[in-house]
Amino acid sequence: MTGLKLVAAIVAAAVAGFFLPSLAGGGTQIYSAFVLIAIFAVMSYGLDVIVADLGEVSLAHTVFFASGAYVTALLSTETSAGPLVTLLGSIAIGLAMAGILGLLTLRLRHFVFSLVTYAVAVVALNIAENWSVLGASDGLRGIPAFELFGYKAVTDAQLWPIAYLLLLVTLYVVYAFRRSKLGLAAMMVQFNPPLATISGHNPQIVRLQVFLLSAPISAVAGWLYAYQRAYVSADIMGIYFLVLMLTAVVVVGRRFLLGPLIGVALVVLQENFLSFGGYVDSIVIGLVLIGVLTMMPGGLVGFVERLLVRIRSRSGETT
Amino acid sequence: LSLLQQLINGLVLGHAYALIAIGWTVLLGVSRLVNFGHGELYMLAAFVAWYAIGPLGLPFPVAIVLSVLVGALVGLIIQRSLLRMTQEQDLVSIMIATLGFGYVIHGAAALVFGASAQMYDTPLSMADIYIDDIWITWQDIAIIVVTILFFIVLKYVIDHTRAGQSARMVAEDPKLAELSGIDVRRVYYMVFAFEGAAVAFAAAFVAPRTPILTSMGFEQVIMTFVVVVLGGIGSVTGSYVAGIALGLFTAFFGAFVSPAYTTAAVFTVLITVLVVRPGGLAAKAGDR
Repeated sequence: MTGLKLVAAIVAAAVAGFFLPSLAGGGTQIYSAFVLIAIFAVMSYGLDVIVADLGEVSLAHTVFFASGAYVTALLSTETSAGPLVTLLGSIAIGLAMAGILGLLTLRLRHFVFSLVTYAVAVVALNIAENWSVLGASDGLRGIPAFELFGYKAVTDAQLWPIAYLLLLVTLYVVYAFRRSKLGLAAMMVQFNPPLATISGHNPQIVRLQVFLLSAPISAVAGWLYAYQRAYVSADIMGIYFLVLMLTAVVVVGRRFLLGPLIGVALVVLQENFLSFGGYVDSIVIGLVLIGVLTMMPGGLVGFVERLLVRIRSRSGETT
Repeated sequence: LSLLQQLINGLVLGHAYALIAIGWTVLLGVSRLVNFGHGELYMLAAFVAWYAIGPLGLPFPVAIVLSVLVGALVGLIIQRSLLRMTQEQDLVSIMIATLGFGYVIHGAAALVFGASAQMYDTPLSMADIYIDDIWITWQDIAIIVVTILFFIVLKYVIDHTRAGQSARMVAEDPKLAELSGIDVRRVYYMVFAFEGAAVAFAAAFVAPRTPILTSMGFEQVIMTFVVVVLGGIGSVTGSYVAGIALGLFTAFFGAFVSPAYTTAAVFTVLITVLVVRPGGLAAKAGDR
């Protein structure tokens, strides 16, 4: 395919994606599922660049997600700020928290890094449950409806265009990052830190930069989630969102651009339309996560690729 | 709340932390593995003990044995699934997979045991001792004694037995250990079974102190992280000392500053230590 045709195909797919919920029936439940898929996918892309490109496991991305949601809740209820201001606020808090955490963990790698980020998640949950400014265990309620340039989004169907746009922008950011110098440097830092150093990259600075890129992505997902749910509470820093993100990032295939989106879609659709009840659902999602990691090292995409290779070589034998 | 009472509370808590963390310490020291499902294993074992003593009416020692068996079995199952990742030292997948196991255990326990808080008593926890205004139960004393004995035996096994020697060789260099005739896979299985059994053993003794919930695993595991990291990765003696220090810190901070923010305070200590010494307190200069 030539460059122009490829661009046309991508634009066509992007436009078609927008009409998916109405093609799927367009009911309230459908739109709500699609909006959640878009929001949680954006949240997962924040973690995706850390896991897939840096090769580290951050368990603090639920905190970035939550801080975007909390800032949105606080700004919109206390100062009646609009979505544009709360969006900037979410990005700012994401950057600030990633900066602090990034600097503190600059010298930590592998499981010590993961332990510390896990600890950050537990401590943040602890603080959110106790601090009255954040509504303590009641959370923050009364977030006004999303209203920007005269467009008011009260229902999920009305929120869908915004969620979808946010998803497209995020996909583009991750795509552009992977083709950028920073993206290349991140891969070098992951697979061969000495090589990265020789080619003029400071691994610690690269890690910090990727961290600073990833946190606002998850925070912006929190921004829209606050409007979607109209209240924010500490439970969004719990294990559910952590496992959802990790599942989305690894199940389909690492460094496969649409991976997290498909992963989130599978989980959300299962929970919304094929649910066996909360506890059984968590057993299912956990088993899927373990199953893919133990039996399909390349994720679902890698599995399908190997299957195709096997089929091809077999048909080659017979002819 | 007197100073002496807090000192006693801190010592009991500290021994509890050390005992809960010891499986992780050995796992990390020998297999270079981490288990993010550790907190959920603690929760599961606590509920097994509760179920044995409460609904089934079994005696406390039988409940301990049951808990330990379940813990070891789950440990073996986890290691079985992680075997390929262990041999490839694929730490990213291991961390995520053990979180997945934790999530499955959490869901299964909530399904079987319900979501409400439970309490159970043992013959020891019902026997209190009062000296003036100082209060302690025999269960607390048992935690301290059992932990000390456990650490002494473990240290002996690691330093002076064949099994300990195999484990130390695998920790040093799995490939060379394999060449010298050690069944490395068996050592990995042994170590993960020990991790599960040890945390279950700890749970049976420690859990009667507080109400237990199937949702407690997520936060529970954090004290173990702190003990393991502060104690110097994989060091048995280090994690005992770190456990006691952490117990005293939590008791005093909780009593005199703020009980709600104890976890946050402990975390601040952890971060401070890690920024100054990324390998933990017991690490030699230049290590890691």
